[in-house]
Amino acid sequence: MTSRMTDLVRSTTFRWALGIALWSALLALAMFGFVYWQTAAFLREELAETLRLEVRAAAEDPAGAAGRVETWIAMDRHATHYGGVFARDGARRAGNLVARPPGLARDGDAARVGATIETTDGPVADEIWATALALPDGGTVVIGHDTDEIDRVRATTLRAMGLGLAPALVLSGLGGLVLASRARRRLAATEAALAGIRRGDLRRRLPVGTRDDEFDRLARDVNRMLDEIERLLEEVRSVGDAVAHDLRTPLTRLRARLERSREQATSVEELRAAIDQGLAWIDQTLAMVTAILRIGEIEHGRRAAGFAGFDLATVVREAAELFAPLAEDGGISLAVAVADGAVPIRGDRDLVFEALANLIDNAVKFTPPGGTVRVGLAETGRGALVTVEDTGPGIPPPERARVFRRFYRAEPARGTPGNGLGLGLVAAIAGLHGFSVEVGEAEGGGARFAMLCPREAGPSRDAPFKTKARDPLSRVGEG
Amino acid sequence: MARLLLIEDDAATAEEILGDLRGRGHDVAWAATGPEGAERARGAPVDAIVLDRMLPGLDGLSLLQALRGAGDRTPALVLSALSDVDERIRGLRAGGDDYLAKPFVLAELAARIEALLRRPADTRETLLRVGSLEIDLIAGTGRRGSRDLDLLPRELTLLEYLMRRPGQVVTRALLFEEVWNYRFTPRSNLIDVHLGRLRRKLEAAGEPPVIHSVRGIGFTLVPDDPAP
Repeated sequence: MTSRMTDLVRSTTFRWALGIALWSALLALAMFGFVYWQTAAFLREELAETLRLEVRAAAEDPAGAAGRVETWIAMDRHATHYGGVFARDGARRAGNLVARPPGLARDGDAARVGATIETTDGPVADEIWATALALPDGGTVVIGHDTDEIDRVRATTLRAMGLGLAPALVLSGLGGLVLASRARRRLAATEAALAGIRRGDLRRRLPVGTRDDEFDRLARDVNRMLDEIERLLEEVRSVGDAVAHDLRTPLTRLRARLERSREQATSVEELRAAIDQGLAWIDQTLAMVTAILRIGEIEHGRRAAGFAGFDLATVVREAAELFAPLAEDGGISLAVAVADGAVPIRGDRDLVFEALANLIDNAVKFTPPGGTVRVGLAETGRGALVTVEDTGPGIPPPERARVFRRFYRAEPARGTPGNGLGLGLVAAIAGLHGFSVEVGEAEGGGARFAMLCPREAGPSRDAPFKTKARDPLSRVGEG
Repeated sequence: MARLLLIEDDAATAEEILGDLRGRGHDVAWAATGPEGAERARGAPVDAIVLDRMLPGLDGLSLLQALRGAGDRTPALVLSALSDVDERIRGLRAGGDDYLAKPFVLAELAARIEALLRRPADTRETLLRVGSLEIDLIAGTGRRGSRDLDLLPRELTLLEYLMRRPGQVVTRALLFEEVWNYRFTPRSNLIDVHLGRLRRKLEAAGEPPVIHSVRGIGFTLVPDDPAP
C-alpha cells in the first residue's frame, strides 16, 4: 500500500493533476483578490465622495456649519457618522469629535486618520475616514465616517475566499488523485503485460481501451510490433527446426554407415567406399550450413565491397552457357534470348551470376527431357528484366509466395536433390541489389522467374526486399 | 617438395593440415600464434605460407600486411573460418594470393598450394604444346596430333588452363574461379559435365585419355607421348 502510494506520488499523471489543482487554486485566489480589491475601492470611493460633498456643503455656509455637522451626525442612528466644527484655536464648537484629528489636511479630501470620538460612554479612539476644510474665520469643519463598513466587506470577502478556496483545493486535489490513479491502474496493467513479455511470454498483449486515445493507439502499435516479433521468432524457430532436421538426416545416415562399415567391412576397399560416402554426406551438410550463413550475410548487406559496374548481358549469357552441357545431357533445349549490346549495371558480379545460376539450375532440374528452358534479358522502361522460364510442372499459385522462403520445396521437388536454399539465396541477392524477383507461370504451365534490375538499383539496406516476402526470414528456397 | 609455413592456432586443425601436406611430401613448419609465425616467416625463407585469418597475438591479415610491407613476396594462402563474404576481398587486399574458407577439403588446400608454388612462368605465350596437344590462342584452334579439334571458346580456355599446368591437380573450384572467372560453388557435376565434353572431343578418334579425374577433387592433364 505504501509503495503504491509512493508510486502514485511519483507518477507523472499524479504530478500533473497536483499541478493543475494548484494552478486552479492560484487562479481562484487571484480572481477573489481582484474582486475584493475592486469592491473595496468602489466602497471607499463612494464614501470619500459623500464625505467630500458633505464637508464642502458645510464649509460653504460657515454660519450653518455647526448645524449641518449635527444633522450629518444625527443621520445615522448607529453612530457611524462623525463630525466637528473647531475654532481657530482648536476648541470644539460642535460635533462628536473631541478634537480635530491630527494629520488631517484641510483640503477637502478623504483620508483614513485616527480620531477621538465622544460617546455616551466617554471618549473612544478609533480609525475613521474623514475630510476637513478651513472656515473663513480660521476654524475647521470635519466630516467623518467610521471604517467598519469597509473592514466588514474585507473580512467577509476574505472569509468567503477562505471558505471557498479550501473545498476547491480539496476537490481539485481529489479529482487529480482520481485521474492519476485511473491512469495508474491502466499503466499498471500495461506494465504487468510488459513484464510478462520480458519474462518470455510473447503471447501477451498490452490492454487496449475503447476510447481510442493516445494510450490506446500506442498500445495498439506496441501490440502490432509484438505480433511481428512473435511471427519472426516463430519463423526463426521453424527455420531452426528445419536446419536441425536437415542436418540430422545426413548425420544419421552417416553414423549408421560408419557403424555398419566398422562392424562388417571385410576389406580396406569397403572401408574406403564407406568413408567416401560419409565424406559426401558431410559435404552435403556443410554446403547447407554454408548456404544458410551466406544468406544471412547477404541479407545483412555485408557485401558492399564487391559492388562494381559490369555488363549484365555477359553475365546472363555466361550463366546460361554454364548450364548448356548439363541441359543438353538431360535432353533439354536451353534457349538464350539476349539482345546484342551491353546492359551496364552496378552490383556484385559474382553474386548476380550465382543468383542467375541458381534460377537456371532450378529450371533445368525441374524440366523433363524434351522440355525447354528459356533464359531472356530485355530492357524495359523500369530496368533490365531477366527471365528464366521452363516447361516443368510449374509452381501452383498458392505456393508462389512461399517459394522464396528458406527450406521451402515444392511438392514435386521433394524427390530431387537440393537443400531448399537456392531460391532463398536468389531472394537475398536480389534484395541486396534492390532487384525484385517474382515467380509466375510460363506459357505451357511451367515456372517463370522474373528478376527486375532497376536502372538506379544499388545496395539498398533500408527497403531492400521488394520480393514477395518482406521480412528477412521468410525468403526463398527451392532447389 | 616445398618448404611451407603453416600459421594456425587450432592444434587439431594444424595437425590434420600438417599430416596431409607432409604426406604429400612437403616440408612444413608450424607456428601457433601470429608473433611466432611472423618471426618464422622473417627467419628461414619458405616457398609458401598458409595462415589463418584469426590468430592469437597478431591477426593473420595484419601479419600478412607487415610481411608485404617489408618486401616479402612469398606466396600466401589465407584460411578463414569467417563466413563473411567480403572476407575474401579483405584477405586478397591484405596481400594474400589465394583464399580458402573453412571448412575446406584437404585436397583443395593442397591443390591450391600447388597452384601457388607452380604459377605458370610465362602466360603471354600463345602457342602451347603439351604431349600431342597443341593450341593456338590467337587463332583459337586446337589439334591433337594431326587431328583438328572443334573447340568452343570456353573449352579452349579450359584446355589452355590445364595445358599451362601439366601434371598438376586442379580442383573444380579452382577451374571455376580461373576459367569461368566467377566465385561461387556450383553443383559439383556442373564442371564435370564441361570436362567430360572436352574430354570426348580430345579422345574422339580413340586416342588415349589426357585429362584424368582425380577422385573427389578435380582433374589433371597428364602429357601423353607426342608422337602418335
